[in-house]
Amino acid sequence: MVGTLMYSVNREVLPFENGLEAWIYFESYGVPDIIVADVNLADLSGPELLGKVKGLDRNTVVILYSDVPEREAIVREAGADAFLAKPFGVSELFDLVQRFVVEDRSGS
Amino acid sequence: MIRLGAEPSKMREIELDDVFLSRLQLLIIMSKAYLNGYPLGRHRIKSILENAKHIKMEAVGLDEDLELFGEDESTENGLGFDSAFYQRVKLLAVMAEAIAKGHALEQHKKEALEKNLDAVCESITFNKQVSDIQFLKVA
Repeated sequence: MVGTLMYSVNREVLPFENGLEAWIYFESYGVPDIIVADVNLADLSGPELLGKVKGLDRNTVVILYSDVPEREAIVREAGADAFLAKPFGVSELFDLVQRFVVEDRSGS
Repeated sequence: MIRLGAEPSKMREIELDDVFLSRLQLLIIMSKAYLNGYPLGRHRIKSILENAKHIKMEAVGLDEDLELFGEDESTENGLGFDSAFYQRVKLLAVMAEAIAKGHALEQHKKEALEKNLDAVCESITFNKQVSDIQFLKVA
């Protein structure tokens, strides 16, 4: 769903099976503008991926989501740009696109 | 850090109903964007086709379930919509798919699409709180 939303605002989307697969790709080809990931990713968790990505490029926006309330504090501690609490809908995703894609582009 | 989504006490896994409604919302937004003359980019076309495919598939299944059990409303799937709603949703998916495939809609078809969109939006409004369809402002 996140992917089709990003397509709807004309952005390229790269889906990955797990955190490690994403990180291996980022190491080789560079990090994208925005990363949207579950906190509970296989092989490399969302917060772990966030730490590695921010080490490469602090400007990359990292948005993590979860259905477990206790994980919000972990995400905050890890330094995420946004936390999405499940279930979320289209309006929340549009809000994030507005903040991190539209406004950032018009500000730069 | 920005926080969006459910309140901590209401957090839960995203279910099929949530995904169906979100895909439908995206389809509505993109159809409205088309009617308002916004151009379709390569990625947006891909998004419309993917959403239309899922919506058509899922709406067909839900609609058949209603007919099979002779139910007026799809209470079993939790959404509470009636058969006419799913027929309208299927029609919307077919029309959106036609738009994405580059078939220009004649004026009377555009009017039909607009009427259909209004009816679908009205059904969602009845079943969801108005605050849940704020996304329509984006279109």
